[in-house]
Amino acid sequence: MKIVVCVKRVIDYNVKIRVKPDHSDVDLTNVKMAMNPFCEIAVEEAVRLKESGVATEVVAVTIGPKAAQEQLRTALALGADRAVHIDTSAEANERIESLTVAKLLAKVVEEEQPGLVILGKQAIDTDNNQTGQMLAALAGLPQGTFASEVKISGDEGDKKLQVTREIDGGLQTIELSLPAIVTTDLRLNEPRYAKLPDIMKAKKKPMDVKSPADLCIEVASKVTLLKVESPAERKGGIKVGSVDELVDKLKNEAKVIS
Amino acid sequence: MDFALNDIQQMLQDSAAKFIQNDYDFETRRRLTESELGYSEENWKLFAELGWLALPFDEAYGGLGGSLTDLIVLQTELGRGLVVEPYFSTVVLGGNLIQRHGSESQQSELLERLIAGELKLAFAQAEPQCHSSITDIETSAERSEEGYHITGHKAVVLGAPSADLLVVAARTSGNRGDQNGLSLFLVDPAQPGVTMQAYPTNDGFRGAEIRFDSVKATLLGEVDSAYDAIQATLNDAIVALSAEAVGVMEKLLNATVEFCKVRKQFGQPIGKFQVLQHRMADMFMECEQTRSMLYFGAITVAGGGEEASHAASMLKVKVGSAGRLVGQQAVQLHGGMGVSDELDVGHFFKRITMINTLLGSRDEHLQRLIRNAQAA
Amino acid sequence: MNIDLTGDELAFRDEVRAFFQNELPPQVMEKIQRGLRISRDDQIAYQQALHAKGWAGANWPVEYGGTGWSATQKYIFNNEAATAQAPRIIPFGLTMVAPVIYTFGNEEQKQRFLPDILASKVWWCQGYSEPNAGSDLAGLKTRAVRDGDHYIVNGTKTWTTLGHYADWIFCLVRTSDTGKKQEGISFLLIDMNSPGVSVTPIITLDGRREVNEVNFEDVRVPVENLVGEEGKGWTYAKVLLTHERTNIAGVASSKQRLKRLREMLSEPPLGMPNLIDNSVFMARVMETEIELKALEFTELRVLSAVSTGKAPGPESSILKIKGTEVQQMIDELYLEASGHYALPFVPEQYEEEGDGIVIEPHFAPNTAPHYYNNRKVTIFGGTNEIQKNIIAKAVLEL
Repeated sequence: MKIVVCVKRVIDYNVKIRVKPDHSDVDLTNVKMAMNPFCEIAVEEAVRLKESGVATEVVAVTIGPKAAQEQLRTALALGADRAVHIDTSAEANERIESLTVAKLLAKVVEEEQPGLVILGKQAIDTDNNQTGQMLAALAGLPQGTFASEVKISGDEGDKKLQVTREIDGGLQTIELSLPAIVTTDLRLNEPRYAKLPDIMKAKKKPMDVKSPADLCIEVASKVTLLKVESPAERKGGIKVGSVDELVDKLKNEAKVIS
Repeated sequence: MDFALNDIQQMLQDSAAKFIQNDYDFETRRRLTESELGYSEENWKLFAELGWLALPFDEAYGGLGGSLTDLIVLQTELGRGLVVEPYFSTVVLGGNLIQRHGSESQQSELLERLIAGELKLAFAQAEPQCHSSITDIETSAERSEEGYHITGHKAVVLGAPSADLLVVAARTSGNRGDQNGLSLFLVDPAQPGVTMQAYPTNDGFRGAEIRFDSVKATLLGEVDSAYDAIQATLNDAIVALSAEAVGVMEKLLNATVEFCKVRKQFGQPIGKFQVLQHRMADMFMECEQTRSMLYFGAITVAGGGEEASHAASMLKVKVGSAGRLVGQQAVQLHGGMGVSDELDVGHFFKRITMINTLLGSRDEHLQRLIRNAQAA
Repeated sequence: MNIDLTGDELAFRDEVRAFFQNELPPQVMEKIQRGLRISRDDQIAYQQALHAKGWAGANWPVEYGGTGWSATQKYIFNNEAATAQAPRIIPFGLTMVAPVIYTFGNEEQKQRFLPDILASKVWWCQGYSEPNAGSDLAGLKTRAVRDGDHYIVNGTKTWTTLGHYADWIFCLVRTSDTGKKQEGISFLLIDMNSPGVSVTPIITLDGRREVNEVNFEDVRVPVENLVGEEGKGWTYAKVLLTHERTNIAGVASSKQRLKRLREMLSEPPLGMPNLIDNSVFMARVMETEIELKALEFTELRVLSAVSTGKAPGPESSILKIKGTEVQQMIDELYLEASGHYALPFVPEQYEEEGDGIVIEPHFAPNTAPHYYNNRKVTIFGGTNEIQKNIIAKAVLEL
């Protein structure tokens, strides 16, 4: 079984986000970029499925500028077998909306015919939480979102996918027929560290580069970003000397208990 | 001309940074330093798995053939985490000596075990009468029919308590100060005649005084000709240690800046006071200048030749001066918390201070540069 | 990670090197060799030789006659110029006012001013600082009041370098008092021959006239000499400051000076004591060399970022501070190396026409005046304290 796993290049989650002085967007100058953490979990899950013999091939896909190939190389270093880069460097529009992303991915799914597609549930830059669901709709495939556990059972030709989902107040387990779309939640797994020998091998693994035009998808934006504001500044923490002092401060200063 | 990290270096940095962030927070590290072993065997196995132990070694021995630049990327991250596993003594010192000076069979056997995480080394070089001189060696090795026997006192051997094998520099001919007549030996520290006085170091590592009383030793590589290998290895080691220093210093700067943004006195964050802003600007400049010097050192030392030792000394001087300023000011700006054991800042300060004493201090290297200029 | 130059870059280096060896005007070459001072005419001859070669506008876009050089090529040029001990290029025309004109000026201004600047036919000076506006430059008070198609300018500019040589001055002037003080500032070009302009010398510690005070008394300036929009002068000046950072650290010339010092130490001139045996002095030499080497690599880091199309990192903010600190460290080494021959004050021995006594070693009597004069470098172009404020704010976000 082939698994397609989708990754996105975002600002590293350790970086303190800076807004451009004119509030037009986030300032990306000299900012460290990384793979979206939920995508890392997706890659990890795909690689584990391959290591356990369930999957035979893992294909990593990204949509983004040339530099996004760094994230594909990371996916390859973590264990993906090959990569597909849909290069949007030439697009006038820097922001590729979720629906366009889903359309592009649907084309990839059509070409690759995977048994399973794994995506992060959302990207930490735009927090949309849409792409997986849209892809499922466009590709006409069942979806298991916010997965905290993924199990594949059954024989070749009649495999079933069990996805445990974290929902309000508990866990829900659903069974899907394959092929299917899964989006990952935080607790699905703990991604490994890339091993240096694998990092070196990643350089030699194949990477296909395509443009949106190659896939006959038009990258047009229907949403305009109007303004970006920084979050309110966090106040410094303090140390309290005793439980009594803590209770007093919670009551009288923070006013969160009464 | 290019100073950007390549893909491989970037991924190595990311992976090491992630390890520090997830598995090596300050309290974890504190528990390790307080444990009997002084570090974690589990981490050591992970280092082997991640290929870090294989980084600088030739592919012929199962290594990854990494460059000195690759090594400084990893070392900087280890510095940020104040990592106490004996990477420096095993890989940077011991392993490199074997790669440079060992016989073919020694290289393949020992490096393979090292890379698998099954062999830890320590380099017993310095002696009480010398801190950093390569040639000022009194420890001697006598040859008899049964092979070599070593007698002497080795000082402050880092990583010795956990080492499976010691790499010992000893004199096989010539006099103190001669370049010729230096040899390297492999010594099993568990055998009779080895007295090891182990101790923790001020900065969370382990070291030992070692006395050899006619101890059986295996010659590493050729006799009498170890000077070049030792010098080249120590030059690499200065670069690697300086990379760690850069990680420590940048951490000290960041911690100080963040602290000064939230610590309030006189009704405002103390980072608003100009006298402290300029102090932090000075710290920032020293961090950047040291990083630049590290790049110069890495490129020049990798090039080899006479320039290598000169560059290594220049780098070590810079690390000494800049580390002192950044360390002391980080503590100063943290106020009372800076001298408390509880906060990590003081421990980074301890490490940067001890780094100056390793492989020749700032003053020793400055003197070396002056003497070379005078002799030219 | 590498510091290698490409084949093209090496070829360029050889071409620049050959120029400095063979194509400098003879009178300039001779003065360099004899360690004499460069006059106004020499300076112009040198810059015109560069222009003849097509190298005057190192930073200029090609469409205005610039070289279109990459950051690395500029670095190579500066290095070779320093190695040849060539005079520095007087920045006010070629690297300061020209970018403002070609970036913000109108077509007529570009055609009127740029060719003469490029050909070094017109000498420019800078009118920014005022007696009461130094570090707080936005507090400037020189006023330009609109009167028909003229501005009437009144006020005083100071520390005007080589203002007594200048044909034109570019000024920041106040055109409004409302709103933020930065918003009332305009960028005005003034002919130094206009009635009401007077230039008074300011003698610096080396006993020489380098800087001046420039007074404007009811000076009528045609409105077509206003660059860009009224009230935007501050923005223009700031843009200029941020994009003109090449060679700000003076690494290449500091390297040359240190190299010559080291050569002198290995062969002391005229039976002077051999300072190389003085370890206290040598420690300072070594520390200066180390600081300079670090700075050289800091500059290369910035260059590498710029030449691969990235924005320079925060390390670029330290170039001015560290560069000027190193320059002053070297000044002090020369002072020490001169010993008591730093004492004689004989400036005329560095003039072509000087017929006074000549004190040997020839370099020594100039070291103290140079040391005194060069205290300026940590003061001008934004004092080093202001630079640290900028680091605290822009880099450390304090």
